[in-house]
Amino acid sequence: MIDTAASMDAATTELSLLVDVGSAWTKATLVGRSRGRWRLGAHAAQPTEWGDDELMRTLAARLVGTADPRLTDRLRALISDAPRIDCHTPMRPGRIALAAVSAELSGRAARRAAEAAGWVVVEAVTADDGRTIAERLVALQSVEVDAWLIAGGFDAQGGDGALEMAGLVAAARGGGRSPVVWAGSSAMTERVAAFFDHGVMRQVANPRPSASREDATSLRRHLEALIERLVEPTGVRGLAPVGLRRSVAELARASGLRVAAVDLGARYATWIVADPAGHGRSRVLAAGGLASPLLTAPGGASRVAHSIAVAVDELAVADALQNLRARPGSLPQTEEELAIVHGAARLLLAELAGDGTVLDGIDLLIGAGRTIAAAPTPGQAMQMLLDGVRPLGVTQFAIDAAGALTPLGALGDDEIAEGLGMLRDDLLTPLGAAVVTRGGRSGQPAMRVTVHRTGWPTVGPVEIRAGQVQLLPLGRGQAADLDIELEGGATLGGPRRSRRVRASVIGGTVGLVLDARDIPLLLPRRADDRRAVLSSWRDTLGREAALPSGGVA
Amino acid sequence: MNGTSLHRIRLPRGTALTVEVGAQIRPDEVVGLRRVPMSPIRVPVTAPFRRQPGDLDAVLVVRPGSLVTEGDPIARDDGGRVVQSPVTGLVVSAMPVDGTLLIAPLGPEEPVVGHIRGRIRGLEEHALVVEVPGVRLRGVGGSGDAVHGELMIAVRNPEDELRAAAVDSAATGKILVGGSRASAEALTRARAMGVAGIVLGGVLDKELRDFEAIQRRRQQAGGLTGSFGILLLEGFGKVSIDPQMFGWLTEQNGKMASLVGAEQLLYLYDSVRPPMRRSLPQVGERVIAHRRPFQGRTGVLVALLDEAHAAPSGIPARSGLVRFEDGRLAPLPLANIEAIVRSSES
Repeated sequence: MIDTAASMDAATTELSLLVDVGSAWTKATLVGRSRGRWRLGAHAAQPTEWGDDELMRTLAARLVGTADPRLTDRLRALISDAPRIDCHTPMRPGRIALAAVSAELSGRAARRAAEAAGWVVVEAVTADDGRTIAERLVALQSVEVDAWLIAGGFDAQGGDGALEMAGLVAAARGGGRSPVVWAGSSAMTERVAAFFDHGVMRQVANPRPSASREDATSLRRHLEALIERLVEPTGVRGLAPVGLRRSVAELARASGLRVAAVDLGARYATWIVADPAGHGRSRVLAAGGLASPLLTAPGGASRVAHSIAVAVDELAVADALQNLRARPGSLPQTEEELAIVHGAARLLLAELAGDGTVLDGIDLLIGAGRTIAAAPTPGQAMQMLLDGVRPLGVTQFAIDAAGALTPLGALGDDEIAEGLGMLRDDLLTPLGAAVVTRGGRSGQPAMRVTVHRTGWPTVGPVEIRAGQVQLLPLGRGQAADLDIELEGGATLGGPRRSRRVRASVIGGTVGLVLDARDIPLLLPRRADDRRAVLSSWRDTLGREAALPSGGVA
Repeated sequence: MNGTSLHRIRLPRGTALTVEVGAQIRPDEVVGLRRVPMSPIRVPVTAPFRRQPGDLDAVLVVRPGSLVTEGDPIARDDGGRVVQSPVTGLVVSAMPVDGTLLIAPLGPEEPVVGHIRGRIRGLEEHALVVEVPGVRLRGVGGSGDAVHGELMIAVRNPEDELRAAAVDSAATGKILVGGSRASAEALTRARAMGVAGIVLGGVLDKELRDFEAIQRRRQQAGGLTGSFGILLLEGFGKVSIDPQMFGWLTEQNGKMASLVGAEQLLYLYDSVRPPMRRSLPQVGERVIAHRRPFQGRTGVLVALLDEAHAAPSGIPARSGLVRFEDGRLAPLPLANIEAIVRSSES
C-alpha cells in the first residue's frame, strides 16, 4: 500500500502522522503516499493513558501486511520519526464566575456566551436567585476562578442592579490578577470600572442591550480570546476545538456548502457551523461531553432513560452515567450500556446544536468523536446525529471515522486546504442523506418522495406519514435527485414555503432517510408505547435499507 | 501514589494565613483565620453632607472590595467633613441611586483547618501548596469537605454493605472504610454520629443524591455541624473494593488519614505502598474490571486476543481473556480492565 523510494539504498517511505489527543481517547491516523497520492494508511484509537509507545506499536501492527515487506522491521521507527501534526483537548477548562441581574435575561445570555466560548461557569449569582447578599458574597468568595463576568442592565436605562452585582464581584474578588469582564449596561461602565484597579476590567458590548434584543457575539468572541490567553497562552492552533473549526471552515469554503460538525468527547463538546465563504463559528462546551453534569444532575438520568428503546431501570441509568463520567476511557460492555451512552449522546447533541433554535439549511453534517464516529454500526451513528441535531431540510451526513479532520486543522493557514484536498477521498465516511420535515398532522401524510437515480428505476413516490421514518437504499457515492411533495403543513425550512421541493443527494453506508418525526421528536408518554416507538425507529435505521414494497415505478 | 506528593489546600478568599512557607503542619492545624461576611448594612453617605445621591462617587474614599474598620473614614467632602464606617466590614457596593454604601460586617474569626499533614512548599493565589509525606489514593468519585481522622475498617469483607446499625459512637471522628455500598440512611447516621468520612467501593447514585439532599435541607435549617467527606474507589452502583486493596486498607487500620471528597483523594500517613493500578495490563497479571456485568470483579488476564473482539455492545476493541475468581472466563476490552500491581512489583 505504501510506496518505497526505490532509488535509495534502504527502502523508505513518505509518512505523516495525525494525532488527536483527547482527554479520554487518543486517535491517530497514519497518512502515506501510495501510487503518487496521499492516502490514509492506518488508524488507531486507544485510551490516552496507554501512551505514545503503544500507539506507535498499534499503528505499526496495522500496517504489517499492507506495507512494503522491506519496511516491516522498521515500521515502528518510521512511524515514530514521521512528521507529526498534533492537536489536543484543552488541558483544563477555563473557570468563570458570573454575577448578573436576572437569571432569565442578562444571566442567561451571559452564561450562554461564556459556555459557548469554552468556559465552565463554576458559580452564578443573580439578584433574583433567592439568596441574601451575604450568601451571594460567600458563594463568590468560595470559588476558584480564572475570570469574572458581570452582566445586567439595559443600555438605555442604566442599571443599579448591575452596579450592585459589580460591587459584589469587587468585594468577593478582593484583588489578585483575575480579569473582570463587564458586559452590562453601557451607561454604567465608568462607575463599574471605578470598582477595580486600572486594567483589571474590560468592557464588552452588552449581550442584552434591551428587553427585546439579545446579541452575545461580541461577548462570546471576547471570552474566546480571553480563555485562549489565560488557559492556553502558548497558542491555540493545537487545540482540538480550534482545529475542528478551521478544518470545517475550509471544507465549507472548498465545497461551497454550509457545513456543520459536532465533536462529542469525554469532557468537551464542540459544535461548528461554517458557511461557503469559509467563516466558521463554534460553540465549545467545556463540560458538554459525555461526562457532562447535565447527565448526572437531577433529572438527567430520567431524560436518558426516557429516550432509549430498551427497558432499563432509571437508577441503573444514573449509575451507568456516573460510571461514564468516572471512567471515560472505558467502553460500553453490554447492549444496555451502549443504549444508555447513545441516549446520552443524543441528549447532549440536542443541547449543543439546538441552543433553543431549529437548525436548517445545513448541507453537510459531520459527526466526530469516538461515540459517534466509532459507533458499532453506521446506522447508530446516523441515528445519534439525526435524533440529536434534528437538522431541518435535506442534509448529507458523514462521520470523521479516522479522526483526521481535527488534527488537519492544526496545520498552518496556507496548508489546511492542501492537507484536506490531498485526503479528500478518505477523510470522511459518508453515511448518506436525510430529508427531515417539521410539522404535519399526526398520522397524515407529511411528504411524498420520488427518488430518481441515473440508470436505475425511479423509486416512489414513497409516502411518509407524520411521525414515521423510513430508510431507502442509496449506496455510497450513488447520486439521486429527489422530488419532495410536502403535505399536511409539513415544511423543510428555508425561505420558500413551496410544497414541491427538488434536491440532489448522495448515498452512503446507511442510505437515504425520510424522516417526518417532527422537530423536536415527540414521544408517547406511556413507557411501553414510548419504547415501542423508539424500538421501531432504532430498527428502521439499524437494518439494511430496502425498497418499499411496490415502491419502484 | 506514595512517597510524597503535592497537595493544594484551597483557601477561601479573605483568609489571613497563620502559617508560613516551610512550616510543618498537622491535619488538625489552623492554617488561617477567616471572618465570614454577614448581611450588609446600608450606610448613608451623601445625606450627612446634604448632597445629592448622584454625588456619591465624588465623596467616597473607599470602594467595593475595601476592608474597613469601625471608625474608618468612608467618605469625605470638600470641607474636610467625614463619614465614618459604623462597623468593621467589607464594602460590598456603592449605590448612587440613594447615595448609600453597602457594608457587610465581618463575623467572628473562624479557623481554616488544612486537614492535611506535611510541609508548606509554597503559596499560590488563594491556596497553600503542601508536600504530603504519605500514600495518596485517587478515587473515581467523591463529595464533601476535606476531613481527617484515623482509618477504621467498618465491614468484614470488601463485598459487604456498610449498614447503618454498624455505625456507632466508636466511629466518631474516624474515616470509615465501608465495602461495596452504603445506603443514604447509613451515610446520614454516620454523619450524625460525627464520623469524619467514609471510603467505599461503590455507592448508588440515588443513595448519594438522597444523602446530599438531606444534608442540604439540614444545612438550610441550620442544623448541620462539622465536615464530612465521601470517597468512592471503584465506581457507582454496588461495587466491591478490590480484595487486595481492602487487605491493604485493613493493615492501615488506626492510622491517620486525610480525605478530600471533592478532589477524590485519600492520604494515608506512615503507611507502606498500596497495591497500584496500571492501565494496559499484561498476560498473567491480576486485573480488575470496570464495566458491568463484571464491574469490581478481579481475576487474571490469561491471554490477549489477536484480532479486535466485539463486546456484547457491538464495539470492536482490543481485548483479553480474563479468568475471574469464580472460574468464569470472559473476553473483555483492555480499556475496561486495569492491572493490580503489588507494591513490591511496582
